Amino acid sequence: MSNESCCANPKLGLVYGSLLLRLWLAVRAIQTGLEKFSGTKAADQVVNINGKANEYGLTAAGSIKNYALTNYHGVPEALMKKFEEEPLMLKSALALYDKMLGPALLLLGVTILLGIASRTSLFLLGLLYISLTWGLILIKQDEGVSWLGVHIILVVMALMLSENNRFALLKKW
Amino acid sequence: MNSDPSSINRRDFLAKTVAGVSAGIVLGAPSILRANGEGGSDQIRVALVGMGKQGRVLFEAMSNIPGIHFQAVCDIWDYNLKGGMAKVRALQGHTPKGYIDIDEMLATEKGLDAVIVSTPDFWHSPHTVKCLEAGLHVYCEKMMSNTIDGARAMVRAMEKSGKLCQIGHQRRSNPRYRYVLEELIKGQKICGQIVNINAQWNRAVSSSQDIAYNPKLTIKQDILTKYGYQSMQQFMNWRTYRSLSGGPISDLGAHQIDIFGWFLGAAPKSVYASGGNDFFKNREHFDNVMAIFEYDTPQGGVRAFYQVLTTTSAGGGYYESFMGTEGNIRISEQSAYTSIYREDSAPSWDSLVERGYLKRKPAPPKPEPAPGVIASYASAAAEGFELPGELSKQPHQCHLENFFLAVRGKAKLTCDARHAFESEAPIYWVNPSALSKLPIQFTPEQLSV
Repeated sequence: MSNESCCANPKLGLVYGSLLLRLWLAVRAIQTGLEKFSGTKAADQVVNINGKANEYGLTAAGSIKNYALTNYHGVPEALMKKFEEEPLMLKSALALYDKMLGPALLLLGVTILLGIASRTSLFLLGLLYISLTWGLILIKQDEGVSWLGVHIILVVMALMLSENNRFALLKKW
Repeated sequence: MNSDPSSINRRDFLAKTVAGVSAGIVLGAPSILRANGEGGSDQIRVALVGMGKQGRVLFEAMSNIPGIHFQAVCDIWDYNLKGGMAKVRALQGHTPKGYIDIDEMLATEKGLDAVIVSTPDFWHSPHTVKCLEAGLHVYCEKMMSNTIDGARAMVRAMEKSGKLCQIGHQRRSNPRYRYVLEELIKGQKICGQIVNINAQWNRAVSSSQDIAYNPKLTIKQDILTKYGYQSMQQFMNWRTYRSLSGGPISDLGAHQIDIFGWFLGAAPKSVYASGGNDFFKNREHFDNVMAIFEYDTPQGGVRAFYQVLTTTSAGGGYYESFMGTEGNIRISEQSAYTSIYREDSAPSWDSLVERGYLKRKPAPPKPEPAPGVIASYASAAAEGFELPGELSKQPHQCHLENFFLAVRGKAKLTCDARHAFESEAPIYWVNPSALSKLPIQFTPEQLSV
């Protein structure tokens, strides 16, 4: 009977749920961190006019996305300007936050993906999302606040499912 | 020079491109368009004077140009100064010297080759003249000055010093603009006879508000006073004050009105302008301005209408339209606002498309004639085309590249101070015409140094 096969391993659904949530949060954090290193480079293919390369420097339209350390931007420039104008925002703290945001997302994403101290990593990721939420409240980005609220719910769910966490390299924390 | 082969190739390409084409652009070349190759060291040592919004735009553009060493930064606002120094440090790995006062910088810094001036308009002339007199090449943002006499002083200082002085009308070095002028208007003559010009820059109220600042970052009043500002609010919003700038017609309009004379190869004979404080009632400068310039060209008369609005975007976009008997070229720094149309009666442009001079735009659906409309009164739909290529760089970069190539003795400036003056002189008469509500017939004295 189907009920019997289900009950043979009653926690399998919770294990899968925990794993999916962990993967989602890890992918979200890692790719967001990677995008901090992305930039675009304009296409530089010179256009031919009347059978020869034009001497004006006109190039084919379009741009190419690339990743490089030199592209790094923790807080997007448009938001940075707004944060700098906020009296409650410490300028030195903002500069530090700008530097650590990308690496922090990458680090926490990898530890959650590999299951290294999953609960602590999830807790720290939650704190990171709260810090982002505070910034967005300051500059009245209500949509972003709601979006981060969903992320916090997912982190809390992952923590609640942590006793079903499998495939982890370091379970202690 | 850098020994990296790829770097050499790129520079050689830039040198050939800019030098070759600019020779055809510069009309009646004055004596001072090219440095004599002095300072043959690898790097051009540069000081940045003014690190506000425009200063940062120019710095970002220069960060893509090899062979520049940023030696010093100068700004009276500590916030801009520290921010500029941090940007230089991030780019080249060491912190440049920082100065509040340009005189102190010029007295202290040794070995500078060039200065980039992007201070408020009323400081352009004093700063540029100081730097030229100190033996430095200068790239100065437009408008040359808030007064025509300030602009005249810059031309005289350039010619007396023998140094380069490039004015930031960056469209003059833009490949798209140069291509349109040299190949489409002069070469293929696709416009036929240009009979009218129509240009505009409309900006929404939301983008035209006073610039706010963090009170914690307020500059001390004695420093503000020393440098010509009554308050921090005036420092942040100098563009709206008559004693500090020319207002929207020079702030936004100068770039575009520059193209009129450049493309026509002529100076206007008159201007008639209208302006008002239609929304920003308390601003010294008009918030909306319209001007009509009249030109006599070898082909015939041309009227050029220019409109700058800071109270509505009206759908957005900014462009210059050159309207001819056979075609219309609407060009903009933004490719999205650029389009070219062939008049229905003009000879076919199929061969131009085949040879790559133009790209054909997808034809729009043919509209059904509306009831009651007399078909013979309406022009037939014009055929649409696009430029064959784009600019793959930040728009200011090409103009700065031209400047630095000229400093190296490898190119002629595309917009030295004398040519910029010829372009800007009529603009200084727009506000007086609007204030007096009278047309101004230009005399040679009004438009000359």
